[in-house]
Amino acid sequence: MLRLIVQRLLALIPLLFIVSVMTFSFTSLLPSDPVDLILGETGTQEQHEMLRERMGLNEPIVVRYVQWLGRAVQGDLGTSFFNSVSVSTALMQRLPVTLSLTLVSALIAVVVGVAAGIAAALRPRSLIDRLATVGATFGQAIPNFWFGLLLVAIFAVNLRWFPATGFSPLSASPVDWLRSVTLPAIALGLSSSAAIARQVRSAMVGVLQQDYIRAARAQGLSSRRVILKHALTNAMVPVVAVLSFQITVLLGGALIVEQVFAINGLGTLAIGAVRQQDIPMIQGLVLVMVGLVVVVQLATDVIYGLLNPKARPS
Amino acid sequence: MKTVPSDGPAAAPSRRRRGASGSAAIVVVAGAILALLVFLALFADLVSPYDPLRQNLIASLQWPSAAHWLGTDDLGRDVLSRLIHGCRIAVIAAGEATTIAILIGVPIGLFIGYRGGWWDWVVMRVVEAVVSIPGIMVAIVILALLGTGLHKAMIALGILFSTSFLRLARGVVLAEREEVYVRSARVVGASGGRILLGHILPNIAPPLIVQTTLTVGAVLLAEAGLSFIGLGVQPPDASWGTMLSTAAAFMDLHWFLAIPPGIAIILTVLSINLIGDVIRDGVGRGITVAARQDAPVASFAALADVAPSAAALPPPRPDEVLRVEGLRVTVSTADGGELPLISDLSLSISKGETLGLVGESGSGKTLTGLAILGLTSVALRTTHGSIVLNGRDLRTLPRRRIEEVRGNEVAMVFQDPTTSLNPAFTVGSQIAEVLRAKHGLSKSAAWARTVELIDRVGIPRPGERARAFPHELSGGMAQRIAIARALSCNPSLLIADEPTTALDVTVQQEILDLFRDLQAEFGMAILFVTHDLAVAADICDRISVMYAGEMVEMAEVDALFARPRHPYTRGLLSAMPHASDRKPPLPTIRGSVPRPGTWPAGCRFSNRCDFKVAACERRIPLTGTDRLVRCIRADELVLEAAQ
Repeated sequence: MLRLIVQRLLALIPLLFIVSVMTFSFTSLLPSDPVDLILGETGTQEQHEMLRERMGLNEPIVVRYVQWLGRAVQGDLGTSFFNSVSVSTALMQRLPVTLSLTLVSALIAVVVGVAAGIAAALRPRSLIDRLATVGATFGQAIPNFWFGLLLVAIFAVNLRWFPATGFSPLSASPVDWLRSVTLPAIALGLSSSAAIARQVRSAMVGVLQQDYIRAARAQGLSSRRVILKHALTNAMVPVVAVLSFQITVLLGGALIVEQVFAINGLGTLAIGAVRQQDIPMIQGLVLVMVGLVVVVQLATDVIYGLLNPKARPS
Repeated sequence: MKTVPSDGPAAAPSRRRRGASGSAAIVVVAGAILALLVFLALFADLVSPYDPLRQNLIASLQWPSAAHWLGTDDLGRDVLSRLIHGCRIAVIAAGEATTIAILIGVPIGLFIGYRGGWWDWVVMRVVEAVVSIPGIMVAIVILALLGTGLHKAMIALGILFSTSFLRLARGVVLAEREEVYVRSARVVGASGGRILLGHILPNIAPPLIVQTTLTVGAVLLAEAGLSFIGLGVQPPDASWGTMLSTAAAFMDLHWFLAIPPGIAIILTVLSINLIGDVIRDGVGRGITVAARQDAPVASFAALADVAPSAAALPPPRPDEVLRVEGLRVTVSTADGGELPLISDLSLSISKGETLGLVGESGSGKTLTGLAILGLTSVALRTTHGSIVLNGRDLRTLPRRRIEEVRGNEVAMVFQDPTTSLNPAFTVGSQIAEVLRAKHGLSKSAAWARTVELIDRVGIPRPGERARAFPHELSGGMAQRIAIARALSCNPSLLIADEPTTALDVTVQQEILDLFRDLQAEFGMAILFVTHDLAVAADICDRISVMYAGEMVEMAEVDALFARPRHPYTRGLLSAMPHASDRKPPLPTIRGSVPRPGTWPAGCRFSNRCDFKVAACERRIPLTGTDRLVRCIRADELVLEAAQ
């Protein structure tokens, strides 16, 4: 398993290199001069030159890239153009918020998607199969933020079961955290659970026809064990790939759903950064996103290896 | 486990037909919704009752009324008018972003596919990098460079979605260039690029259309999202996303504001996705010519009514383990009928005895084995007969009791050991699992017994092999494991379904020897299903010959080989290759086993039989006491196996 992880890590190097070059080059692609952005029209010629020198903008681009990368690797992503806050600090404050939203919604998507997929696969063309199919079709057409608004209207405004807005950190109070994260996570997880349900259904239908399922039944193992252990383990192999992709989608979706619930996560940070063309912040956001995606992919590969012995390097 | 469909067999097909017409109706509705959308977008100014920007603060946040069909928003603007103008934005957005995506993606994809090499490598790595970042983040980054607004947002989405068109175009080129370079360009000497383009354009169209429908739906959702968070369409302009953004601020005061734009988005995206599905199915059908099975000829109705005849029952035998009487298995057909696959089958096996079930493929031998276990697939039903194992009729047992019987009293070894072992678990754990589940052994006791069993089936270094995964074992080794698992609970009946067919000839004999040894040791009865008469002769005590879903002959091995009584048995024996006898043209039985539903009404072998007479047009019973035969001329014909 360790070999697998090392192999996958090495395979990620080209991706990380390309992403870092792309991220770095935003500064150069920017239509306006970052110095102008920071100082506005107020600064004198001298101040402009000084800032230019201090930011190292007079160095050749390769030197600047290497310096930037060196600092980034050490966790120094520069300071915001606008409020001289350290980018890393700002990101680290918001990351747990977005991450807990993403992970809880992924959990919901997996539980709902797998359960619905299995139920549909066990009885093809039955009522539950049709419901799951229709649900999956709608689930992929409903915008997550609209679904979020609906949940707010019903469960927060009307029934008052959950708070309509805000986020409580897990460390402060697990109960409040769960209450604050439930509605946004459901809103976010809906379309992913639909995608997962479709995938589980088709994988499960295929696996249930396999000889080893019939053999396990012939051996007198209970239906429950045959379906949940023998069939599901194999059916999850293709599902894991979809799940990896879905977590990336959820991460992006979280940026929008946060706005529905006025949650101060990476999304709010990103929107502010875009409006102000706060390039270091955007760069930092991209790197954090890529970092998360890399971790998810790595985890996926490990799970894939556990589920599918043939994929393990021998 | 017998899964009887909850509805009657006649209900299923009509429901399927209703499903087909239902989906046609859905497509019409989806098409109408999209047509309405385009109409409203084109004529928004004429159709909408009010100016979408006209404010009326006195009449703000109103519920639907005759004056304002969908009410008013926080500034007293007419929601319906804003919704209609939102259609225009949606159409512009979808058109703009999709066009940009195609114009960027397709040429670059064609280019890198054609050039290959470094160009291809670098661009593909960039694409991978972009795809690995959440799409909305990519759009946000591009908007940070461009600034906000509808058209800028659509450029951002266009760039984002161009990656899928790029990969699609590249894939088509890569598939076509092989073809083209080998066939025409090199030979004719024409410009490779031009010919390639000529080949690519017709091939790229179908996947391009499919990808476009997918993209349009995704763009609409993304545009709404970007406008919702204020990076797309800017207020006061009306788009569905900005309307929802307004609604979000008033959820506690006037939740209805969220409903019209939400429904509009959902209906539009749903319509596009559904039409996309239909197009995708159509394109898919165009590519793969479906191998549709011919509908079975409906001449079976008469057969279905033949009641099990008392004469067909085999005489009771001492130490009987299994006794099957009058078994019939049917399948539901597309037009609601019940087609018999096995009819009126009776057999019995004693302790320590091996009964061979032989016949060509399609004769129903494997199905018989599965039917005894109650493991036929969902579409199949066992409609008649009894399956008495150790004195209990399995057909009358509830599902849970049958699960107890399986493994403990009857077990099965399948044809292909590489597919009958679960690829996800070690072979040892699959045996230990049975021991723990059926005999309640502890983990360590089950494992110790597992290693013993693996040793018993003749696998060297059993402790080590128990930890192997199925794909790490040879076929013969895997089959030994499957046999060990089947015997783990010491069943009184073992059903072996062509257990040597998938194996090398040299391994076959070893496995047969193993069966013999184990039978001597454990004393179980074996139902040995095979199409190979040489194997059957080697291992069986008695042989039942099956043809077209019924038994045609049953006899002791020696008697059967010395003097077959059914013309089909004789045909099988004659077609058997003998190592000593190398006369080239091996006689074969003309024709092939008719598919279920196309069986002749009388003797099912009559259309292939050399001895057919008029009386063979009637149903023929299985007759005899010690030897059984289903042939009206059995007594007059003198059949010999060898020529």
